[in-house]
Amino acid sequence: MNDIVWLTMRRMRAPLIALILVYVLSVFGMLAIPGQDQNGNPIQVNFLEALYFVAVMATTIGFGEIPHSFTDAQRLYTYMILFPNVVAWLYSVGTLIGLFIDPQFRAVLALSRFKRQVRRIRGPYYIVCGFGYTGRMIVAGLLKRGIGAAVIEREQKIIQSMALSERFAHLPAIVGSVTDQDLLDMAGLNPAIENCLGVIAITNKDHVNLTIAITTKLLRPDLPVMARAETRRVVHNMLSFGTDHPVDPYTIFAERLYLALKSPAKYLLQDWLISVPGTRLREEMRPPDGHWILAGIGRFGSRMAAALDRAGVDYTVIDVHPDRVKARPDSVLGRGTEAATLEAAGILEAEGIIAGTGDDMDNLSIVMTALELNPNLFVVSRQESPDNDALFDASKADLVARRSLILARRILAVATTPLLPVFNEHMVHQDEKFARKVEDQLEEVLNGYSPSLWTIDIENELAQSVRAARQEGVDIRLEHLLVNSRMPEMHRLPCVCLMMERDSLRLFLPKPSQELMHGDRLLFAGRGQARREMIFSLTEPAALVSLATGRPQPRGILMRRIARKRAAD
Amino acid sequence: MNFEKVVFGFFIVLALTLNFGFFVGDIDNPYHHHPIELCAALAVSLIATIIKFGDRSQMGAVLLATSLVADLQLAIAAFIWGYTVNVSDAGMTNETLASIVSLSGGALLANLVSVTLLVAETISIRR
Repeated sequence: MNDIVWLTMRRMRAPLIALILVYVLSVFGMLAIPGQDQNGNPIQVNFLEALYFVAVMATTIGFGEIPHSFTDAQRLYTYMILFPNVVAWLYSVGTLIGLFIDPQFRAVLALSRFKRQVRRIRGPYYIVCGFGYTGRMIVAGLLKRGIGAAVIEREQKIIQSMALSERFAHLPAIVGSVTDQDLLDMAGLNPAIENCLGVIAITNKDHVNLTIAITTKLLRPDLPVMARAETRRVVHNMLSFGTDHPVDPYTIFAERLYLALKSPAKYLLQDWLISVPGTRLREEMRPPDGHWILAGIGRFGSRMAAALDRAGVDYTVIDVHPDRVKARPDSVLGRGTEAATLEAAGILEAEGIIAGTGDDMDNLSIVMTALELNPNLFVVSRQESPDNDALFDASKADLVARRSLILARRILAVATTPLLPVFNEHMVHQDEKFARKVEDQLEEVLNGYSPSLWTIDIENELAQSVRAARQEGVDIRLEHLLVNSRMPEMHRLPCVCLMMERDSLRLFLPKPSQELMHGDRLLFAGRGQARREMIFSLTEPAALVSLATGRPQPRGILMRRIARKRAAD
Repeated sequence: MNFEKVVFGFFIVLALTLNFGFFVGDIDNPYHHHPIELCAALAVSLIATIIKFGDRSQMGAVLLATSLVADLQLAIAAFIWGYTVNVSDAGMTNETLASIVSLSGGALLANLVSVTLLVAETISIRR
């Protein structure tokens, strides 16, 4: 705000001085020249009349010779002062209008608007650096879960198109360098801003993301940082100074492929938990463990190779770089887009193929050629540009590694349900039985569509009914939370409690008889309607107590006291 | 010699002198106070204010504040004058003139502070 005032003042200095000087001098002259009334009697022009006439003339409004017709001397004088007045006036107005379309001034305006909008965010929000395809997906996901976002983006065009979209128009957004400390400070790193949940750095430059992570960790070590990092070196670098979640999309995909190869049940459960809520649940998929072909062994391919090695799957590499081929015996030199190379790599005996070059069209070509040669192949493909979604959907690939989708899903999971990565980690290290058990429970409550995930922290307003229960001397157990408290008969809510966290204690798939306490953190998966009912039960003090005691709980203090006495008798 | 400083000093001192010219004389004697002088004082005071815009130093802020005070006092004085002469039926009375002149006296004080600050600043800069 201050900047705008100062800038306007500085720019308007010369035109305003000119305007005042010309105006006042003209008025003085007007006063000095005698006029005459309609009868020809000489009169002195009054101060107000002079001020009024000059103002009307200078602004080119021109009501005429006021209040009486002018004498020749007056007309001559008016003629002399007319042009300087109009020029001074236009000069001022022109400078003012020029100021509004001045890029520097607009930048200052945008900055102050951004600051104001950020300050006005009421609920929790994330700072999102980079608003490309991935950023857009992440912000949309955050908004769906009731979390806001402050966007910093380098491209003017993206911010402009954002203002036109219905979903994002109200979000604070600013064009600027995402590594600018002042901008980050304004966006929420300032310690005075308390509702900033963390920083999400997803520009397409690793180095920029690294800079954002360092800046955040230095200025606000308490804020979690989620940053995209596509090389192992940057991932390690980020971890070294405490970045909470460096997200490397290809490593994530490699881990998923490994899981799919080794343990389809775990893969399936993971898939259910991270897919967009409300999409159809996927069937179990069994990638073959026979011979595989890996076309392209760059950044993506090398991670795939590591996953295949770990899973003990045998594979042949195809690559265009001779040195890469030389480093691996039994590899084939070539692009993989021609039948000859694929045949040389043993496509006819192979059971799976990974198209992992850096070029989308090459990958599509590999997929199509390979399927023509061997229609029974299990096909995994890498997709770089989100614009090619439709092409890869039509390509009949069984698995597509979409970088931005993987990034967005992982960051959303970490940002909105912090317990999910913990659960995931646990699940991966358990045996298949655990995953199967969770799947069975989930399948029972979901009717074919992927679940929503939500975390319930039993504190503040959500602890009301637990507090009420303690006063009544009854225990609230998990099973009470899992039924609809508004129904007269037992009606189970369509959700599963995946885990419970109490300080350092972690319970996975807790039993329904698990007692709940103030401060507990619960992770649920299920249908969104269950979440609403659950929050109702938790905020309505009498609801859970009635369920726990099996009697309707009186709401008033007096009636409650009577009921307690009666129960004691 | 800095031309900007000349303009700056010129308008600030001129605001003070014009103001003084209007103020000086018997407080309720209409022959001692001319409206054109008041008008000129107000105009120069406004220009002095505009010149002080955009100076973000501590001294600049105080200078701007004193100017704004002078503007306010003179503008009220000018408004009362205009209202009495053109709108009110009673016309200019000694009491009204006295209050106009005393308002300009307040502005004079503000302008005096302004000039004092200017002088103080000039002396404090050694080259």
